[in-house]
Amino acid sequence: MILKLAFRNILRQKRRSLLTGLSMTGGFVISVFSFSLTEGTYGNAIDFFTRNHTGHIQIHAGDYHKRPKVYKTIEGLDSIEALLGTENRIKSFSPRVFAPALAYSGSETSIVSVIGVNPLLESKTSRLKEKVQSGKYFDQKMTESGFFKVMIGAGVSRTLDIGVGDEIVLISQGADGSTANDLFEVVATVGNKSSFDNMVVYLPLGAAQEFLSIYDEVHEYALLTDDVSKSRTIANSFQEDIDHVVDGLTVSPWQVVESSFYKSMRADQQGNYFILGIIIFLVCIGVLNTVLMSVLERTREFGVLRAIGSRPVDIFKLIFIETMLLTTLSILFGLILTIPLLIFLTQVGFLLPQPIDMGGVQLYELKGTVSSIVLIIPALIIYIFSSLVTIIPGLRACTITPRSAMSSH
Amino acid sequence: MEYVIETENICRFFGEDDLRAAALDDVSIQIKPGEFSAVIGPSGSGKTTFLQLVGGLDNPTSGKILLSGMNIAEMTNRELSDFRRDHIGFIFQSYNLIPVLSAEENIEYIMLLQDIPASKRHERVREMLFLVGLEGLGDRRPAQLSGGQQQRVAVARAMASGPDIILADEPTANLDSATGASLLDIMRRLNEEQNMTFVFSTHDRNIMDRARRLIHLHDGKIESDEIK
Repeated sequence: MILKLAFRNILRQKRRSLLTGLSMTGGFVISVFSFSLTEGTYGNAIDFFTRNHTGHIQIHAGDYHKRPKVYKTIEGLDSIEALLGTENRIKSFSPRVFAPALAYSGSETSIVSVIGVNPLLESKTSRLKEKVQSGKYFDQKMTESGFFKVMIGAGVSRTLDIGVGDEIVLISQGADGSTANDLFEVVATVGNKSSFDNMVVYLPLGAAQEFLSIYDEVHEYALLTDDVSKSRTIANSFQEDIDHVVDGLTVSPWQVVESSFYKSMRADQQGNYFILGIIIFLVCIGVLNTVLMSVLERTREFGVLRAIGSRPVDIFKLIFIETMLLTTLSILFGLILTIPLLIFLTQVGFLLPQPIDMGGVQLYELKGTVSSIVLIIPALIIYIFSSLVTIIPGLRACTITPRSAMSSH
Repeated sequence: MEYVIETENICRFFGEDDLRAAALDDVSIQIKPGEFSAVIGPSGSGKTTFLQLVGGLDNPTSGKILLSGMNIAEMTNRELSDFRRDHIGFIFQSYNLIPVLSAEENIEYIMLLQDIPASKRHERVREMLFLVGLEGLGDRRPAQLSGGQQQRVAVARAMASGPDIILADEPTANLDSATGASLLDIMRRLNEEQNMTFVFSTHDRNIMDRARRLIHLHDGKIESDEIK
């Protein structure tokens, strides 16, 4: 009966309840919209760059990530790879080597980055294979002409004016201080001018190790986990495991590897949360007004309820249930409204007229996502604020003496 | 227990300093179980204040109130609420029914507070509606009932919890004389059949005629206390 009483009290001032309910519904829908878009956009961005190159977790020797040097290599690859093979949460891994180099072909020269990867493992860890624009994804074998195969970024192709089938000479410095130089054959071009690897030359891992004189050593392992959201936890636990196997390695989640993107994402998210907080605050001012008005109008009635034996807590409970009921109805209505909105956001989204640069990651479209967080957090915030704004009117109603309450009009 | 209501030198003042006014001044009364008493007097004599104090709706400025032998000043807020719920029934001049509840629900509500099982509550509601002559009107909201019918619901509500005392503040003031008389008949019958104690505050000659005790208040003091 208390629920019935609460429900009928809500319907007593239909117009007011409707307006309050709609403001809560509006607050909920805006919050869900914003959460969905923020989570979705960043989710896509994180997926984009972690799958594009970074991976979810990286392993380096010491401070290689901050101060990369060609001689700061990871040793003991067999032990590391054996350990990686036993870790269920790691879906795939890819060893890599890096070095700056001077590339030339014909009369053209260019500064490039050399990245050595295991073609098979890399294709399971990043989207390198999918980025091939012309030619064929490379392998470890040599060409018929006896050269190692390489894939080049779009910028290298344009600057040196070379393509599939052409030769390219790379000059660099080996880890032992020797001059590294060799001739390679281009078998594919990858990405486009806006890709991060625009000026990259990909070498098969063995070729790159030989080129840089770092036999059986690499600079980096990129790992893919089964859940990107748990990267930090997995990295921490894997750091402990790997410390037992090889000394001096640093395991970093993508949040550390791409700290500039992560920080700008967090700052942007906090800005969004602040705006959402203001919206929900305004909604709750409306709720407070409604509850206060309702309590003031029904003071005499509360006096009667107290007179016939309701405890103060019963009165508070009634006001609380009324607010929670209105909040629940508003959120349910909001949920109905958000269904088509979420379908649109997740399936269609917004195409940006100009890409947004987010810490180096280019966002071309904004798409939403649906998750428990997207729906539960806005609902929870509205519930919490509604509960809080009930306290003052509720206390007022339950602490007034029955005589004072009944003499009010 | 000799008395259901016992007041000792109760005073109730409103306002402060120069504006201080006595609504009740040194009032001592004892009311036995089963009495059918009326507190009478002109407007402002303190009748309603007296009922509010003995009903635990207000606190006296000084003095002691014992209900069924218990000093209500020593009760916590919660104990006093529970005491009102279980021992006192109120009937107000302006009915004071909950407008969003039907007649049945208004009667049932107090039993809900008493944690009485639903089947027993519904049976008691039917019984009460029959007692006050409102069978078939239980599903109506107060706004769909006449003043007399609303006051009958109020009587039924006051009776529903099985109280020891019914305090009725000018229960017939808003009713025509025939309706008032019929309501009074009901209350008198309940008093006689169930030995409930009734205390009225009233101007109504009809109630005064039927009451077995008349307590006359004037300017907050007892002017006379007449047992017929």
